Amino acid sequence: MDFNYSEMQQMLVDSATKLVADTYTLEDVRNQRTIASGLNEKNWAQFAELGWLALPLPEEAGGLGCSFEDAVVLSTMLGRALAVEPYVSTVVIGGHLLAAIADEDARNALLGGIASGEVLVALAHGEPGERYGDGGTRKTMAKASGNGFALTGNKMLVFDGPSATHFVVSATLDDGSLGLFAVPAGTAGMTSENYPLVDGAAGADLMLDGVQVDAGALIASGADAEALLAETNDRATIALMAQAVGSMEACNEVCAAYIKERKQFGQPIGKFQALQHIMAEMFVSTHQARSMLYYALAHLNAAPAEREAAVSSAKLLVGESAQFVSRSGIQLHGGYGVTDEYIVSHHYRRLLSLEKQFGDIDHHARRLALHMFGPAN
Amino acid sequence: MHFESEPGLEEFRQEVRDFVRDNLPEDMKARQVYSGSMFSNHDDDQAWSKIVEPKGWGTYTWPVELGGCGWSAMKQFAFEDELYKAYAPPLSFNTLHMIGPVLYKFGSPELQERFLPMIRKNEIRWCQGFSEPGSGSDLASLRTRADLVDGKYVVNGQKIWTSGAYDANWCFCLVKTDTTCKPQKGMSFLLIDMTSPGITVRTIPQINNEKHLCEVFFDNVEVPVANLIGEAGLGWTYAKKLLEGERTTSSYIFWNKREMRRVIALANAEALNGNPVAKDPAFRMKLARIQAELTALEWSVLRVLANETFPQGTPAAASVLKVRGSDLQQWVTEAQVDLIGDKALRSYPIDSLGSDAGTLWPEHVVNRTNMSMIARAATIYGGSKQVQRNILAATAFGL
Repeated sequence: MDFNYSEMQQMLVDSATKLVADTYTLEDVRNQRTIASGLNEKNWAQFAELGWLALPLPEEAGGLGCSFEDAVVLSTMLGRALAVEPYVSTVVIGGHLLAAIADEDARNALLGGIASGEVLVALAHGEPGERYGDGGTRKTMAKASGNGFALTGNKMLVFDGPSATHFVVSATLDDGSLGLFAVPAGTAGMTSENYPLVDGAAGADLMLDGVQVDAGALIASGADAEALLAETNDRATIALMAQAVGSMEACNEVCAAYIKERKQFGQPIGKFQALQHIMAEMFVSTHQARSMLYYALAHLNAAPAEREAAVSSAKLLVGESAQFVSRSGIQLHGGYGVTDEYIVSHHYRRLLSLEKQFGDIDHHARRLALHMFGPAN
Repeated sequence: MHFESEPGLEEFRQEVRDFVRDNLPEDMKARQVYSGSMFSNHDDDQAWSKIVEPKGWGTYTWPVELGGCGWSAMKQFAFEDELYKAYAPPLSFNTLHMIGPVLYKFGSPELQERFLPMIRKNEIRWCQGFSEPGSGSDLASLRTRADLVDGKYVVNGQKIWTSGAYDANWCFCLVKTDTTCKPQKGMSFLLIDMTSPGITVRTIPQINNEKHLCEVFFDNVEVPVANLIGEAGLGWTYAKKLLEGERTTSSYIFWNKREMRRVIALANAEALNGNPVAKDPAFRMKLARIQAELTALEWSVLRVLANETFPQGTPAAASVLKVRGSDLQQWVTEAQVDLIGDKALRSYPIDSLGSDAGTLWPEHVVNRTNMSMIARAATIYGGSKQVQRNILAATAFGL
């Protein structure tokens, strides 16, 4: 085992550190909300230029063929920066799902588009009346139609939907099994409602009314689709946990600096043991969270049941750590903590978002318990 | 960055498992399984040391030239993990981590020659004379003094929380040899024969029906100068160096893992509303959270063992292990108590075994409550949780 960063990973950290200092100031983070689509195109172009979008994609499709670990290390830096660009949606989720397209030309065109920054992907899986895709069979239907399929149904809370050029839509096929479809945004029959999320990112609901796609749009079906989606979800969860770890680490630094500076009762409040002990526990929680990130990462290629249990125990712990750290962070800042003008409240909002996306604490505790004890009563 | 374990580890684990299966006496194992104490009994400790002696395992952490096994950190981890899993008595902590290293690192050739062969075989019962009534977390304030009189040290004072002093042969004692300088500079390590005139030992009845912790009184106890370890006044320095080598033991990771396995077994064995407790939605959520913290602790240990470079330094990463390791000792044993419900209320003598449970009582309830009660001490000894937080605030954030 070696937990130290490779040269490549250290290079990523260094280049990210530079970009972060210039591009993700408090003002930038606050201004992010003025971008209706949620996508800062200038930043995205820089991501592309730095090769970040190509990082884990296969070389034959214009990617750099780097490891998933590299993308995870980069994700910790995005988390530090509170960068809400759709890196996970496009590179981690999109990159993995679209790589399963059978047709080589179509596959490489889309993956190449991701690498160059022209293709942005959003996963349209969740539906009304459920959470975390726990509703079982998709109500969105994919009926055989012409030489392809007609998709009809509603998709809710599609992360990074407003900026997506392509959606991956899950739907139930005529035989009752799951199908995953690559659907260009704006295909006839598709309408959407876009909205801001609490952390400055954006979400969308999709209403599909007989959206016609050709046969090649079907990425995977049946058990293959289930397995692919499950694996993609776990990869996304790991990348999001990496962002949470980065945000927590940055939050701790911000808090330590603040309580050294802020004076009350004639001294820096950081001299008070009550506050020191909160910070010590924030450090413990954050450190444990990073350990769990590595644990999950180490199980990425394990058998599906083992992988899911590992990811769930990690997401559960990272979620709890994120809540503890971000809530404590506000408390340490006193009244300033609940203003928009201090970065700590932005870490709070981002960490809330990261705790909820792809399953909250309770969702993953249930999934881990299922692994430990079998079905509940 | 990679997470593959080193080659051959699985085979090695199997070798350890096989050895324990073939050589750990059933009665000795039973005393571990039903133990309500953080300590195992000294007879078992010494008997087990004899059993593993042909393998050379009793000093596996020592330098190879002194009888160590020369294993990597990960191999050592696997070794202890398997021993704990199998309920073998822990190998002598004093031999491996305390008096052994202090002697071979800092002791005079005479002391080494005299003691190391016996320590290697765990033939001496040691007790550690550190804490005093007025010196708990603030160890530097200790007052037991050793004055040089006619070429001998004369020791006067009192130690407390001295584990196992009642049947110890020797005390490995931190005393004040100079009261005129800064407290940390006036401390020395002395080896004191527990049969020396002037020593009185009183056992302290504990919350868990055990009497393992002691008070030790020194009344003009004469100790040869040759029993001084290293130089006078360097006791604090030696103790600190010793602790630097002990980066992960405070996590109790192997113990915590084993006791979590017991939690899972109890959850499957105990009933609630006619079903295993493990099927109860509220209960299993609680247990899943403890399991996640435990896994995180294990990986925090592995990160230290693999020599990760930590931005806030290794001492801060090691403090995490102490803080969460002691939390977990309490969480897992509290969960055990909660899992057996009101059956936790029956009070068992500390040496009870499964067969003492009672006609209508499951064997697995024996001593769970005693264990959980003494686990309250986990966040107190070795630097209380509050002291650990002080240290962390300083080392991680410069507060």
